[in-house]
Amino acid sequence: MKLAKVIRWEFTQTIRSKQFLVMTVFIPAIIGVAVFAITLAMEGEVSTPSEPPPPFIIGLFLALILFIGAFISGVMTMYGVMKEKQSRVVEMMLSSVSAWDLMAGKVIGLGLAGLIQVIAWAATAYFVAGRFLPLSLASLSLAHWVTYPLYFCLGYLFIASIYATVGAAIKDIHSGGAIGLAGIVPYVPMMFAALIIQKPDSLLVRIAGFIPPFTPGVMLLRIGATPTISEGTKFVPAWEMGLSLLSLAVGTVLMMRFATKVFEVGMLMTGKSASLRELWRWGVRGS
Amino acid sequence: MNRSELLRVEGVSKTFESVRAVDDVSFCVERGEILGFLGPNGAGKTTTLRMILGILRPDRGEIRFGAAGPAPMAPKEHTGYLPEERGLYGDARVLDLLVYFGELKGLARADARDRAREWLGRFDLGDWSLKKIEKLSKGMQQKVQFIAAIVHRPQFVVLDEPFAGLDPVNQDLLKEVIHRLREDGAAVLLSSHQMNRVEELCDRIFLIHRGRRVLYGGLEEIKEAHGEHAVLLRFAGDGTSLRSIEGIADLRLGSGRAAFTLLPGTEPDALIRCLPETIEILALHVDRPPLHDLFIRTIEGGDA
Repeated sequence: MKLAKVIRWEFTQTIRSKQFLVMTVFIPAIIGVAVFAITLAMEGEVSTPSEPPPPFIIGLFLALILFIGAFISGVMTMYGVMKEKQSRVVEMMLSSVSAWDLMAGKVIGLGLAGLIQVIAWAATAYFVAGRFLPLSLASLSLAHWVTYPLYFCLGYLFIASIYATVGAAIKDIHSGGAIGLAGIVPYVPMMFAALIIQKPDSLLVRIAGFIPPFTPGVMLLRIGATPTISEGTKFVPAWEMGLSLLSLAVGTVLMMRFATKVFEVGMLMTGKSASLRELWRWGVRGS
Repeated sequence: MNRSELLRVEGVSKTFESVRAVDDVSFCVERGEILGFLGPNGAGKTTTLRMILGILRPDRGEIRFGAAGPAPMAPKEHTGYLPEERGLYGDARVLDLLVYFGELKGLARADARDRAREWLGRFDLGDWSLKKIEKLSKGMQQKVQFIAAIVHRPQFVVLDEPFAGLDPVNQDLLKEVIHRLREDGAAVLLSSHQMNRVEELCDRIFLIHRGRRVLYGGLEEIKEAHGEHAVLLRFAGDGTSLRSIEGIADLRLGSGRAAFTLLPGTEPDALIRCLPETIEILALHVDRPPLHDLFIRTIEGGDA
């Protein structure tokens, strides 16, 4: 119950801000109108290929959007957590709600606001790309419509939780040190995107799909690439998706718990940042 | 258990790393009283408060609230906390923030809004309810934070240095509100270094030093048990004759004024009868020593 109230507060406070309005409405609208005007002016000069792009494009596109969106909302979450500590409002909050409600409420509330932003940007990108490529969502099956959003949203929360942990552990933005690098771990699969798209059924890719920080990136690419490459297999086996989704869900909850514990210890120590060793001790032992 | 007792802290301890911040502390707070919670900096006050309020978990000991059984903390819906370190969400609007805090403490939205408006009016902040917190002066923010701590009418209120940073007018207003909370049956725990405020407001006091309880009880009883009478005298004439009075100590003699304390066993009545006739008495003030002196003597005595 309290969690829902914290989520609503964090969400409404964020979407009411001017920056949010600019980033979510104005900039995408300006880009959309500009591209529309340019393509209209060049009518006939650019030949649009009639060949539809390969299906893995949607998966790659979603993975890219996920990582850009999760990065932006992750940084927002990190600042939110740091501000909570610095403004000292945290004592009043924690005398009203549990640290878990506060942390989870922040991650989910800011995540939802970020999701709206991501949808606005994705729609803009789809529109812009559609002016040059014969893109169509009709090629997506029901299975795509179910699995893409699941991986996307869970991956989104997982990445935001990592940033929340970083925010809970550091004193200010200049003193992140090694801990700040934690935020790039989920991005590793993107460096191997070509490999995953070419060999979506290789053992390495299949195993990586079960390891939470890599799951969202690997699986979004893999699902997009599977029908074209491997003959016979229409889709990634259901059990693999079920298991990887389960491990991602469990991983997300554990990551949020870890962030909560780091926050509980870190909020009383506003004067210092945690070292990697301390981070582990704060997050696991809670002291 | 006393019928009017609301909160009982029993044998609570907390250790950080190797430092024992709070060591086996026990006390209770009754409904309709203000308990002064005193101690030098770093004595373990804030740690104790945080444990009661569920921000920290005690290593040992327990807290009983009302008729409920022992628990590691008081129920959050029934407590209100004004921390010493002030801070609010600067970019939130005043009324929104108060409604949010009220809701987190279990009030319905409409109810929280009504009460927040009422309090803003009482603190002369009605015109500011739609402004962002960061636009308010420091004193105004402080009043908003006080409202946030009590908007849900908590049974147990913790106020840590509530008067710091307020002008005299607002200090009086706040004092009146705290008295009202007590009259309405709330148990108030007031932590402050302003001893005159504590003397004005508190029924009983609790003094913590190095994590341990060193004084606890009714303000008057403690003064009676620990403090000799302090005397202030203004006079005309030769004051040196004051040196011959028996049963006094710490005589400080200035031109036309003298200050001294009565040794145990010397009553004010006896003093008046043996004042020398060579001086003309202009003013005489006999009282228990201020809490300030008692505080310092207890802390220094404990260090010796």
